[in-house]
Amino acid sequence: MGRPTKIIPLPAGTSRRGFFKRSGSAAAVLAVAPLAPLTTSAQPVAPFQHGVASGDPLADRVILWTRVSPAAGRGAVTVSYVVATDPGLTQVVQRGVAKTNPGRDFTIKVDPTGLRPGTTYYYRFTVDGQNSPIGRTRTLPAGATPRVRLAVVSCSNHAFGYFNAYRRIAERADLDAVIHLGDYFYEYGTGQYGNLRTPEPAVETVTLSDYRTRHAQYKRDADSQAMLRQHPLIAIWDDHEVTNDSWRDGAQNHQPGTEGDWGTRVNVALQAYYEWMPVRLPDVTKRRENQRAFTFGNLLELVMLEQRLSGRSQQLPATIPTPFGNGFVQTGAFADPARTLLGAPQEAWLANRLRTTGARWKFLGQGVMFAQIKLQAAPLAQGGGVFANSDQWDGYQPARDRVYAMFKGDANNAPVNNCVVLTGDIHSSWAADLTQDPNNPNTATGGYNAMTGEGSRAVEFVGTSVTSPGLADPTGSTAALLRSINPHFKYIQLTQRGYMLMDVTPDKTVGEWWFVDTVDSISNVQTFAAAYEAQNGSNRLTVSAQTTPRPNPPALAP
Amino acid sequence: MKSIFIIARRAAAAATLLASALSAHAANITLSNTMAFHNDVVQVDFTMAAAGSNVRIWTDSWFSGQNFDPGAALWARVGSDFSRLAEVDDDDTIAAGQGFYDTGFFLPALAAGNYRVTLVAAVNASNGNVLSQGFSYDRETPIPLALWNQPTYDPNVNDQKGGFWRLNLFGVSTANRVPTPGTGWLLALALPLLVWSTARRQR
Repeated sequence: MGRPTKIIPLPAGTSRRGFFKRSGSAAAVLAVAPLAPLTTSAQPVAPFQHGVASGDPLADRVILWTRVSPAAGRGAVTVSYVVATDPGLTQVVQRGVAKTNPGRDFTIKVDPTGLRPGTTYYYRFTVDGQNSPIGRTRTLPAGATPRVRLAVVSCSNHAFGYFNAYRRIAERADLDAVIHLGDYFYEYGTGQYGNLRTPEPAVETVTLSDYRTRHAQYKRDADSQAMLRQHPLIAIWDDHEVTNDSWRDGAQNHQPGTEGDWGTRVNVALQAYYEWMPVRLPDVTKRRENQRAFTFGNLLELVMLEQRLSGRSQQLPATIPTPFGNGFVQTGAFADPARTLLGAPQEAWLANRLRTTGARWKFLGQGVMFAQIKLQAAPLAQGGGVFANSDQWDGYQPARDRVYAMFKGDANNAPVNNCVVLTGDIHSSWAADLTQDPNNPNTATGGYNAMTGEGSRAVEFVGTSVTSPGLADPTGSTAALLRSINPHFKYIQLTQRGYMLMDVTPDKTVGEWWFVDTVDSISNVQTFAAAYEAQNGSNRLTVSAQTTPRPNPPALAP
Repeated sequence: MKSIFIIARRAAAAATLLASALSAHAANITLSNTMAFHNDVVQVDFTMAAAGSNVRIWTDSWFSGQNFDPGAALWARVGSDFSRLAEVDDDDTIAAGQGFYDTGFFLPALAAGNYRVTLVAAVNASNGNVLSQGFSYDRETPIPLALWNQPTYDPNVNDQKGGFWRLNLFGVSTANRVPTPGTGWLLALALPLLVWSTARRQR
């Protein structure tokens, strides 16, 4: 946390040039000899090439981020910042200074405290007399909170196209925050996964320099800058922030023989991540444990889950042939309760957050799909059927059952209602009732009634990707087939890209899917696609309608 | 608790002072100790018996964030006060071994006279052109450095919590850390004890 605000005189320069600048009345005692040549550096032409961002808002603070592009050879760089309540920065509430250096890749992260809850702020950085763009952010509300509106994104692959979804989100002035559910960037090299735009560096990211360069490329994107400049970001990584299908001790796309030690790769990837993302570390000594909680007054508790690096057991192979590809059943190692996706400490933390929060709604922001996706249907009593993707919660059913136990309660704990799972990862749009036995129509035996939703314990909204490709399904026949096997899904759209909008009030949570028309070029076209809602206490989804924006939202940053 | 910190700090400072009160022409002197609180001001007097060239004064104790980020000001004695010549937050070009946030002065030529260097935790800047005007954090309740998030710290690693400082003076005549009033009192107490102890051992 940054030092609380106080208007502090900016110290004299950051170099010998600054020293001489303040040499004044007593200069006579300095020698008569000519001064040594100064080690000046050229002024950077564009010191804020990577924009500004804010993130991890709390009721009294928010991370402010930028990156300075100094002239070559520069060491320490001092940056000043200002926070105000108006876009013109005339109503200043805080000023401060921060520093950066090559060891931090010249990134700046400050965490000004003492802000007011539920308030929109505007901020700006200055270095060497040059100003950054003005950013806009917002603290979390406290106390009675009538409404929260959030944009939800995931899977933003620069190589696959333009971040039109980000631009559309930037234009919405009434959002409290943007949630990024992971795969904020992709590790692949040129042509390995997407070829509309060329990745920097051209190779797969493995070293610290690689990861920093890739982050820098993403932060230079104009649409990304627009979104991050207007809204606070609440982000959690999925796998591609390090590499594909990662788990605690390795990854599908990591070859130790050619790419070195896994732990080293994780360390450098996370170093770059924390440098380049407006994220607050919960514990600097446990950098993999990035789970955090955000309280939106009495309305919403948002927990962001870490599902890759802190506790996840290795994915198991799917080996059973089906007409749709290989699947797996919940036997053998898949039934091992020791296997975990969150790790025991995070499971305990999640249970505590869900059981103790006073907020009406509980959102679980996370990467991989919680609902079951089966390729062959069967009730649990008949083996449960064949599952599709072992990287999702389906591959960790005993661990998922422990989360269901939190929802359902037990002799010592009341049930936790109004849980909403938000998911990314799979480049497509889904809405699901969450039930442990979706193919069992008998609710008396723990089953699920697809007509009424009875038996559902919570709901899930899966957001499509910003750019990463979905599945070609022009007629919707694949989606229809999947729904016939998996009756707990209320909505499946496999092709379109865009974002979700969550509108939360005490009475209901509405999830809307908004799709962009293309990612192949810059486009302003977006379309409302569908909306589903969970009413207070229902724990199940019904069709909903598009919500209306908040009236008179705070002005966007100029 | 704070008074214990202060007494311990000042006792250590007194010991250092006794050991480092060197006097030589064009000497190279290194002083070091530990700063306890965020608004402490370390003051070091030095003299130039004659005009000197290539005088260098620098810190090398930041240690990539292991210790606090120092700032320094250089003052010239004017009557009973000191007049500020320069104030530098960061300069790692003075000598090898400095880190990005270390500070210092390179003085190609410096007239004979009496000078003072003040060392603070950035950005506890001086309030004015004379030393008696104090520093910007002077009125704040002291915060132990170990518990303080220095404005220039890195939130990603929670660094700059150490209080060790080291000041090197190259090409000066003499250099002494200025005792704080408390340190002076301790010295006044310590010196007779030292004399008594030495005499007792000699007996």
